Amino acid sequence: MTDAPLLEIRDLSKHFAGRAGRDNATFVIRDLSFSVRDGEFLTIIGPSGSGKTTLLNMIAQIDVASSGEVRFQNEVAPLTDAKALRPGLSCRIGYVTQEDNLLPWRTTIQNVLFPLEVQGRLTPETREHAQVLIRTVGLGGFENHYPHELSGGMRKRASLIRTLVYDPPVILMDEPFGALDAQTRTQLQEDLLRLWNLGRKTIIFVTHDIGEAIALGDRTLVLSRAPAQIIGDHAITIPRPRDIRGIMTHPDFGALYQRIREQVQ
Amino acid sequence: MPEPPIGVGMSSLDESRHNDAGSLNQNSVVGALKAHRDQILVFVILIVIWQLLSWRLGVYWVSSPWGVLSRFVAGILDGDLLINAGYTFTEAISGFLLGAIPAALLPLALRKYPMTTAILDPVMVGGYGAPKLALAPLFILWFGIGIESKVALVAITVFFIVYFSTLSGVRALDTKLVQMAQVMGANERDVARHIVFPGAVPYIFTGLRIAMPYSIGGAVIAELLSANRGLGYLVQLGAMNFDTTGIFTALAAVTCIVALGNWGVDIVERRLLRWRPVADVAMQAGT
Repeated sequence: MTDAPLLEIRDLSKHFAGRAGRDNATFVIRDLSFSVRDGEFLTIIGPSGSGKTTLLNMIAQIDVASSGEVRFQNEVAPLTDAKALRPGLSCRIGYVTQEDNLLPWRTTIQNVLFPLEVQGRLTPETREHAQVLIRTVGLGGFENHYPHELSGGMRKRASLIRTLVYDPPVILMDEPFGALDAQTRTQLQEDLLRLWNLGRKTIIFVTHDIGEAIALGDRTLVLSRAPAQIIGDHAITIPRPRDIRGIMTHPDFGALYQRIREQVQ
Repeated sequence: MPEPPIGVGMSSLDESRHNDAGSLNQNSVVGALKAHRDQILVFVILIVIWQLLSWRLGVYWVSSPWGVLSRFVAGILDGDLLINAGYTFTEAISGFLLGAIPAALLPLALRKYPMTTAILDPVMVGGYGAPKLALAPLFILWFGIGIESKVALVAITVFFIVYFSTLSGVRALDTKLVQMAQVMGANERDVARHIVFPGAVPYIFTGLRIAMPYSIGGAVIAELLSANRGLGYLVQLGAMNFDTTGIFTALAAVTCIVALGNWGVDIVERRLLRWRPVADVAMQAGT
């Protein structure tokens, strides 16, 4: 882990035009700045409607910003012109969305191989790597099932490794485990940490669950209600490897939880 | 009605939602059989009513089930009915493919040009709404009384139906899937091939399903107007000779061809839409 930021978000704002061209535009996000170090697991927490998804969409370059920029290493990505957007910044920013967004006409293995296929990187080695990932998250035996034949948790796993398989240096995650039952969610959190330990990618993980933010992250940012601004920046000092199931009994957990909860209104 | 396929290996899953899906499949198989039995019942009732009418009104007006069946079998044995049916079938299928293929490709090609689509819209709406049968005399004038005029009429009928159903498929595109694919490095061509097209396939088939009977109907009507071959010609011949049984026999053959065409569309559709949930396919098959 180096100290130089891998990804920098500078003065990012997003607003929607007010009615009838009047000047009372509503800001979703206003002058938001933060940076992420290489290999850092950053969790962002905020109340619902605080523009978390909009923020990730802008970083992933599938949505325009009203002003501001994103710097990747030292390359500036313009965000204000819809035509200049480069979704995924040439496969360097992966995005695991809230919905699994699997292609319904492709089987599990075809979905996982999809990024490699369109990037022209289908080789026996990458195929083998995909198989290994599939088995790692417990989808072995379901390679040839279509998404509708999988449970919600299984679809989530498939969508997760579909992004991991092409190894983007940065991965954005938008409440990926939000719609799952507690048991499945804990299991997926463990899977994610295990996979992250293998590669130590840079992850920006958005959630509205304080426990999840603490259990997974190296650092947690707290967003205010719209217009979103950063109102808290907490280093999570709990050492790794972490035991997700027992994390609540760690002596630092209670105090962290308390501090963050006071900021999340 | 085809039996819905049962999901492979579903019973081996321990998750309850899959067990639910499994029992649903069982129910729908029983349901399919039951619907099948009821269909046969309705068919038998109609035949009985027909027979009663033919006793009451006389064979001259409504023919009789037995008369039609024996003429049908005789027509197949001496080849007369088969040859004429084959002629109609060829016209219908050629016209169907000639109309359906460009109709399924055009909206996909125009996806990135909404302006062009909008400019074409009035023409397409007009073409869709215009009574194509009224075009038959024109086509006969242009293409003669041979097979060409029939194929042209069928093609134009099919084209507009499939065009609009494909267009709605392209418009119903899930933009989130496109964005995801782009984030993963897909270019325009990948998006068209891997997302827009597969997503539009169910809509294309909705159009094909509607267009199939129209294609056979169109061929028969064109033959009615002018032909010396085909099932429409047989209907016309029967009418001129006051041969009610001949007309009914030809119509029975038309019905068989429509069933054959639907069956063909079904087969291709189920092959291409294996990825859809079973309930969807069963619902489609039931309509």
